[in-house]
Amino acid sequence: MNLVILPLLVPLLTAVALLFWGRPSVGRRTLAAVSALAQLGIAVWLGVRTYQEGPCVLPLGHWAAPYGIMLVADLLSAVMVTLSAFTALMAVLYGFAELSPRIEHPLRLPLMNFLVAGINLSFLTGDLFNLFVGFEVMLIASYALLTLEADNWDIKQGFPYVAVNLVGSTLFLCGAGFTYRLFGTLNFADIALRGASLASDPRVAALALLFLVVFGLKAGLFPLYYWLPNSYPILPAPLAALYSGMLTKVGVYVLLRMFGTVLPHELSGVHTLLAWLAGATMIFGVVGALSRNFIRGILSYHILSQVGFMMLAIGFFTEFAFAASIFYIIHHIVVKSSLFLIGGTAALLNRTDNLDRMGNLWRHTPWLGVAFLLQALSLAGLPPLSGFWGKYAIVVEGLRLGEYVLVAASLVASILTLLSMLKIWNAAFWQAGEDREVCLWDWRWVRMNRVNLSMMLVSLAIGLGAEGVFRVATRAAQQTRDQATYAAAVFAVTAKGSGERP
Amino acid sequence: MALETALLIGLLFGCGTYLLLQSSFVRILFGFIVISNAANLLLLSMSGSPEGRVPPIAGRDGAPMVDPLPQALILTAIVIGFGVTAYLVLLLYRLFLDQKTTNAAELFAEQDTTERT
Repeated sequence: MNLVILPLLVPLLTAVALLFWGRPSVGRRTLAAVSALAQLGIAVWLGVRTYQEGPCVLPLGHWAAPYGIMLVADLLSAVMVTLSAFTALMAVLYGFAELSPRIEHPLRLPLMNFLVAGINLSFLTGDLFNLFVGFEVMLIASYALLTLEADNWDIKQGFPYVAVNLVGSTLFLCGAGFTYRLFGTLNFADIALRGASLASDPRVAALALLFLVVFGLKAGLFPLYYWLPNSYPILPAPLAALYSGMLTKVGVYVLLRMFGTVLPHELSGVHTLLAWLAGATMIFGVVGALSRNFIRGILSYHILSQVGFMMLAIGFFTEFAFAASIFYIIHHIVVKSSLFLIGGTAALLNRTDNLDRMGNLWRHTPWLGVAFLLQALSLAGLPPLSGFWGKYAIVVEGLRLGEYVLVAASLVASILTLLSMLKIWNAAFWQAGEDREVCLWDWRWVRMNRVNLSMMLVSLAIGLGAEGVFRVATRAAQQTRDQATYAAAVFAVTAKGSGERP
Repeated sequence: MALETALLIGLLFGCGTYLLLQSSFVRILFGFIVISNAANLLLLSMSGSPEGRVPPIAGRDGAPMVDPLPQALILTAIVIGFGVTAYLVLLLYRLFLDQKTTNAAELFAEQDTTERT
């Protein structure tokens, strides 16, 4: 199963090759695009394989668990790697449409590949410390990308992002230390095995709370989200799509992994806290979105509100809720990235994304309007679009568990989401005004819109083929929550030192 | 020994948090350096008391060894922290060149976060 390392290795090698290539050119771009496409192929292959056979394990350096470093790909990891490859491919293609090679920053493509490598390492790693390393690779690339093309106004928004994430990383390091002291190991499978006897230990609950803070900070959980809505709008559209799609979702993924696979399942107090924080995140995020008046700002706040839905499902902590959360992640990454790209195209056409000065887009570019409307309604959760099914599953599970207040909060958040999306629709697309010029002569929007439309088709496919996607999500949820099978798969690998347990 | 280490870690975290909450970005940078050292010390203390243990060198037998894993973790964390600190210093310098100040209160004084084109 050496191929498990490819989602990590391909972007790293591509990044190094692109660095040595130097100046942006058509050939360099082709390399980046081919590499992104290859990553998507590998990820899909990994998904098929894990769907059929369960977790695939690669012991790096050929040392057996729990001594060696493990890469473990189960269906959840494979799904996340597929989504990151897809988002990166779309962001790369959109970036090509937006900028000619002459004005492209030479470091943008290598850094995007480093970012994807860090994200994929976080998804595939089988131990806590490599998760930290994956997070750091991802975050350092994201700091550099955030400030790479920032102008004087933007740069000061970058500093809080960096500072907040550094504090989060430091706390993560402390959490890794505590985990090692408490369980005597950092390997996920080994923690799961040893955790069973420690389930009622209050120290485990304290550790779970520390992880909730660390990964809630990365995911944008209330009240730790304030760094996000100001820093994401400074990114160019394709990077904003990649960030909004993947970075916060790494936090959500890790919470799924920690609470589902690693830590004992008996921590019901922490799960309840997570559900209530998620409810607050939904409401505060969407209210923030309503208060903003430019497209990227509104969309940035919506990330928070959507993260709330995923976290709410994790907090319910049943297998069906996990499946709903995973379905919601799949839907959200596609729709949210695509909305950022559509917003970028609209901003290019109107030369601004301030809603007070936008307009006329529906009349001149109906297909952009169709793409926006479908994705916006999907985000709000209208059937039969993809967002509806995720929300439906979460609401059904919430009603079954009797969490009426949280269900009500999620419904209110959905309605307010629709309202803020209509705000963009009315101002930018519907509104007609003679003074609001639409720069159709800027031919770049045609190619950008092709990317938008293809993302719209993928999102439609998720909505219309919801049953199949939900089956994958259910399988992923089963694998994520099945600690025994996960541990057995990791310990079944024969390598140096197997069988020698202290 | 354990108590002194715990007190030192607590003191460092306290100072670091105090510095992080200041409005000057330079102090935030120092605060980050202090709390990252506190975290490293915390990791080190997680290997337990070193009394009566020998350094972890392969091939020696007999006496119990100090747990080498936290030290490996610290080494990685120091390298990462060093790189990030270097980046942060550069970001701070760029900020100073652009804005002629690194104080958050002055930087964000006239900012209207609801409007941006």
